[in-house]
Amino acid sequence: MQPDFSSAMLPAAPDQWTLQEAAHLLRRAGFGGSPKDIESFHALGRYRAVESLLAPTEPVDAFTLPAWANREQAAADMKERLEQLQAMRRATRDLSPEDADKTRREFNQKQQRTNRQHGIEAQGWWFRRMLKTNAPLREKMVLFWHDHFATSIQKVKQPVLMVMQNELFRRHATGSFKELTHAILMDPAMMLYLDTQTSKKGKPNENFAREVMELFTLGEGNYTEQDIKEAARAFTGYNLNRFNGAVVHNKRQWDGGEKTIFGKTGKFDGDGVIDLIFEKEAAVRYVPRKLWEYFAAEDPPEEGVDALAKSFKAADFKVEPLLREIFRSKAFYSDKIVRNQIKGPVQFLVQMLKELELENPPQGYTVDAQQQLGQVLFMPPNVAGWDWGKAWINTNTLLTRYNVAGFITKGAQESSKLAANDGDDAMMDMEMDRKQMRVANVLDRAQRNWAGPDYDKIAPRALREDPEKLVDSLVQRFFQAPLGGKERGAFVEYAVSKKGAIFTNKEVGELCHLMMSTPHYQLD
Amino acid sequence: MFVERTFADLHVGTKDLATQAVTGKDGTILVVLQLAGGNDGLNTLVPFADDAYYKARPRLGKKEKEIIKLSDHVGLNDSMPFMGSLFKEGNLGVVQGVGYPNPNRSHFVSTSIWETADTQNRSSTGWIGRYFDNACSGSDPTVGISLNKTQPESFGAAKNPGVCLSSPELYRWIHGGGEKAQAEEFFASLNSPEDDDNPVDGASIAMPAGGKVGGLEGESNLAFLERVAMDARVSSAKILELASKHKTKVNYEGTPISRSLNMVSRLIAGGMPTRVYYVSHGGFDTHNQQVNSHDRLLGQLDRALKSFFADLKAQGNDKRVVLMTFSEFGRRVGENASAGTDHGRASCMFLAGDAVKGGLYGSYPSLTELDQGDLKHNVDFRGVYASVLEGWLNTSSKPVLRGDFSKLGVIG
Repeated sequence: MQPDFSSAMLPAAPDQWTLQEAAHLLRRAGFGGSPKDIESFHALGRYRAVESLLAPTEPVDAFTLPAWANREQAAADMKERLEQLQAMRRATRDLSPEDADKTRREFNQKQQRTNRQHGIEAQGWWFRRMLKTNAPLREKMVLFWHDHFATSIQKVKQPVLMVMQNELFRRHATGSFKELTHAILMDPAMMLYLDTQTSKKGKPNENFAREVMELFTLGEGNYTEQDIKEAARAFTGYNLNRFNGAVVHNKRQWDGGEKTIFGKTGKFDGDGVIDLIFEKEAAVRYVPRKLWEYFAAEDPPEEGVDALAKSFKAADFKVEPLLREIFRSKAFYSDKIVRNQIKGPVQFLVQMLKELELENPPQGYTVDAQQQLGQVLFMPPNVAGWDWGKAWINTNTLLTRYNVAGFITKGAQESSKLAANDGDDAMMDMEMDRKQMRVANVLDRAQRNWAGPDYDKIAPRALREDPEKLVDSLVQRFFQAPLGGKERGAFVEYAVSKKGAIFTNKEVGELCHLMMSTPHYQLD
Repeated sequence: MFVERTFADLHVGTKDLATQAVTGKDGTILVVLQLAGGNDGLNTLVPFADDAYYKARPRLGKKEKEIIKLSDHVGLNDSMPFMGSLFKEGNLGVVQGVGYPNPNRSHFVSTSIWETADTQNRSSTGWIGRYFDNACSGSDPTVGISLNKTQPESFGAAKNPGVCLSSPELYRWIHGGGEKAQAEEFFASLNSPEDDDNPVDGASIAMPAGGKVGGLEGESNLAFLERVAMDARVSSAKILELASKHKTKVNYEGTPISRSLNMVSRLIAGGMPTRVYYVSHGGFDTHNQQVNSHDRLLGQLDRALKSFFADLKAQGNDKRVVLMTFSEFGRRVGENASAGTDHGRASCMFLAGDAVKGGLYGSYPSLTELDQGDLKHNVDFRGVYASVLEGWLNTSSKPVLRGDFSKLGVIG
């Protein structure tokens, strides 16, 4: 069935819906859930369920930030670092060049160690938030914006700035895309990532000017090289105070001359250019298309994009009404779309943990798993963000998914952990062999002590008496839809062969692992 | 139940193409060896005749007696006696002063640039991946094997990105429970195409395997996943089998680089259709007290290569293999106050193997006319890639490198 996009707004589906449709919405607009979660979500009816996603009761600050990422603490820490740096500079004045260099290096290494530790904590903080939140769509949108306004800790280096950006995305999660774009211009992490803070009058850096048009708002072909050159002049003079994270527009370093952008002439500053961008027709289409691709399917038909673009324009670039339209639309629940999206690595991990009702996965393991599956939070590969869909899957990442599922479903067993974190660690610094070893040891301990899910709860003893019922219950838990005869048959056959006098927890874990070691389980 | 089949069996029409013309067991093989962290070219290939070298490196400079002379001007660090003998035999090509325009000093960015062969660092595919896409269509997924934990960027491909395995023990479905064989049979059946006797469309070797721009026209996500799942299962079974069957008679050290090259040699001995292997040797980010660590790393490399080439010779495969090293950048000419060196620019590359025309290529960059304290490159690394692509892998370099780069006569 082809989605129907014929009229201006996407035709809506009725309030009545099936459990499968509810599960689909919860997977796509969130990270799925346990059978109970899905049942209570279904009971709301389609429209109230959509509203519960769009207007969550959970406050944006419901999750306590790591102490170092708290604004006041961060400012105090930055101030202290500045003082230490000054003290170090004074102290090294009287030292021999060798000793001064050694002192400087030790100072920098200590800083790098702290940053590295904080980076890992930040990743853990966000990941746990995705897992535990009652506002899943908000986190899913934070991930969308993180991919859209891609910024990597590898270049930014200061985890506190990445967390501040993450909070910015959360505040604007379903708000105005235009306002968020204005805000991102003065976001410290983005400024470091795209070199805005070094762009001065007379020596403009084109990096931000190019990406804001090509990747953030308009897409290629909707501006000229001259537009970029002129816009780069407007984006000069934005200064970031590295020690308190404050951003100001310094008029003396700003090129205040006239610029001609998209055929309009004026003494534009950065905000002025962004306003010009949002007058372009392409800005109305760019993000709606991406949102549809993110939540529904790649390559949407143009009529669908037309409909969404119309709504986006009418809503003055507010995202919330657009999401409401998508999640209420008939097209979103069509056969072509349901269970036909390849899970991204973070989605794969969070959803698996939720399906297994695990709130506290082994510490550090999830970061390591992200790395091997190809999506590490706060580390998109470049300014274009991640490649989605089929790009997540190759023979190695697929086998790693199967083996991660094995570890999570079965608890610690000698051979099922990931490869040791040797050598080419992705985080920031290559000089930290010893630190890496320590991190690896912590990981090892967490992994050794991992007990696995509570199978007495997931597969009660009574259920295990009947292998078919057991399989159907687990299929509902992991796929939320009936499977093809071949898969179900194989699972039942396996369950029957396992059912001796008793069906042990270990055997249930093996059955779960087998179910997840399938192409079907990679789909949402 | 499940019948074990090879890739070629799946698609009778592509059988000959797949196993002979494209990835024949007698084809040429390239081993790419990454020296990760930025190898100090100046202490690897020492310009001993240049006083400026000793002036810039009062503590780190290699004395004339500490080197293996290759010419009146340069010599190898004497931690590399095997490389020295290879040079004498005419089987080591040394490219001097390699780099690229507007060099970047970040490990990550510069590594990307070398791996994608795109100095703008905007490509989502790697140069080796583009070689697979352009020249190896219809080949087995094991056309490229990386011995790294994660896929190297150079393998990024629209169609066939090769496979990567940190160790063969992990490149498989690990089932910890009892009655393993039985579980694995279920696994095999769940990870093979719907009908075992009739290959379904979209589940065969001639199809692209991943990448956003790739994918078969109209291939559903599920069909795609089933195809990759089968590739993974079959290639993992094959690699494991070969890796356990072929033991080498040559001794290797226990270092990671020796172990990786040992694995490569076993896979070659086993007749894998692989055209490119990728291995890494890390630790070259020598900011501190570099003398011992850098010499030690070069020594490990040298001994690993010695075992590897002896092994290939014993197998009779030595004429089929060329090995090329690269590193993301060289290091600053002047030593720093910690008796180390900081991130720099131009460095050297090695090409080793029977097919290599030994000798020095390019010219040694001046140590006095510097660019912000760094050596200026005089050979673009993409020219070295072009030489290898055309002279060894027998393919046109232009579509792979997206440009014309002048080749060196080092091979072919």
